[in-house]
Amino acid sequence: MNRVLVLVPFALDDEGLARRSDQLLEVSLRPDVSYEFRPVKAGPTSFTSPHDWLLLDVALFEAGIGAEDEGFSAVVIDTVSDSGADALRSMLDIPVVAPGRASLIFSLALGRRFGITAQWEPALARYEKVLDEWGLRSRCAGVEHFDTPPDFSSLLTGKEAAILPKMEAACHRLIERGADVICLGSTTMHQAHAHLSSVLDVPVVNPGPLSYKLVETMLGLGLSHSRTAYPKPLVPKPHMLSAMLAAAADTESGSGAENG
Amino acid sequence: MLAPFPLSAEQLALRERQLDAAPLPEGVEVHFKPTKAAPANYVSHHDYVLADVSLLESGLQAQADGYDAVCIDTVSDSGVSALRSLLDIPVVGPGRSMYVMASILGRRFGIVTMWKQWFPLYERVLADIGLTERCAGIRSIDVIPDNRTLLAGKDHAMPLLLEAATALVEVDGADVICLGSTTMHEAHSYLQANLSVPVINPGPLSYFIAEALVALDLSQSKTAYPPPQVPKPDVLHAMLDAAATAEAELDAP
Repeated sequence: MNRVLVLVPFALDDEGLARRSDQLLEVSLRPDVSYEFRPVKAGPTSFTSPHDWLLLDVALFEAGIGAEDEGFSAVVIDTVSDSGADALRSMLDIPVVAPGRASLIFSLALGRRFGITAQWEPALARYEKVLDEWGLRSRCAGVEHFDTPPDFSSLLTGKEAAILPKMEAACHRLIERGADVICLGSTTMHQAHAHLSSVLDVPVVNPGPLSYKLVETMLGLGLSHSRTAYPKPLVPKPHMLSAMLAAAADTESGSGAENG
Repeated sequence: MLAPFPLSAEQLALRERQLDAAPLPEGVEVHFKPTKAAPANYVSHHDYVLADVSLLESGLQAQADGYDAVCIDTVSDSGVSALRSLLDIPVVGPGRSMYVMASILGRRFGIVTMWKQWFPLYERVLADIGLTERCAGIRSIDVIPDNRTLLAGKDHAMPLLLEAATALVEVDGADVICLGSTTMHEAHSYLQANLSVPVINPGPLSYFIAEALVALDLSQSKTAYPPPQVPKPDVLHAMLDAAATAEAELDAP
């Protein structure tokens, strides 16, 4: 049995984690691969500023750094921001799948120009960054948001009737702008995938489930990221990371107590 | 899996050995099918057109025949665009699948291949999918390939392929190596054992991508590959039957 560690970018409770792991139900998967969802110990509250991006890089890096020693065969990052993925790749020999770049690049094999759905206006800056980093701007028809603040724990649950029409409208705007493939801009949008696929004439890429199939492909073919592209550090400092995140979690629970 | 040439059972078996590279995904069966006729090789625009039309004809009934996906057994991705315009099931080009996977695994990939005459095939697909800038280089070993017997009798090619792949990594800056042809699959394990970067075997990758697409209920975009207003399958079948007959007459003593 191959065990895969899925790193969840927020310190969620069991219910929040379950809504994340529901992504596994949206695709048929190999019976010999199992998935374990693990939240970070601490992290940013929003995801709209370089401050938040950096905190999430550190949090996800720490959450996955021991994955190989723990016997996992692969790591998946449960966020299209791919936070922490590059750092984890530099430390781990097992595949680390980053669904953001994977879904955008994968869409190039399905169509000519992809469009990205974003949650709300403050989320746009992050996509701008990724498009430049990955040199994909010329293949991007646009990024359209549906003006809904994200809920990283309950996702769309209970708000489907209000949100789905707005998401659908954002997809239609992308198609009008020339998109022939839609990439969901967050793994937290997975609950909308079935609906959008059924009403749109273009393929809709669901980044979480795609990342599981890429894990299967990499494990099946013995592939992993390039060590040349992601060189190891000369002096690894896992203890430093571990101490920083423990301190972050302590601080968060302390401030929570003060507030509560 | 559409093999791009008319092949004997023995020649087809050499291509089928790609299936041994990795255990197939659960529940997947792969059938190989040769074309009725083909260009002698893939080195000129004359050949590209013949390759496209022969592979289109070979695959256009796949959906009606009950297949869940079509793979093309050539990194040139010949016939892929036209087949995508006719079929709703996924049509997987190993070339584009390989460049996509390489871009997911590293920053810049290199392509190692048998001869320079194949370079335009790579350049066409890279430009088509917008990944030209991710390609660090293409190197050939200048050994004339045999698209029917593959690498049989070409043991001398192995160290040359390794040398070229090493130069792609050390000189050109590639951090992933792509094999420039599904016919080079026999070199994959040797290269992977001797290189420190990932080496992608395009044929086996394409079966996994096909299975993933079926599992995800994803397929090519019909907006990107619009269907024809008047499909002409009968015309295509007649053309390829005529092509096969013309070839047989030419071969007859």
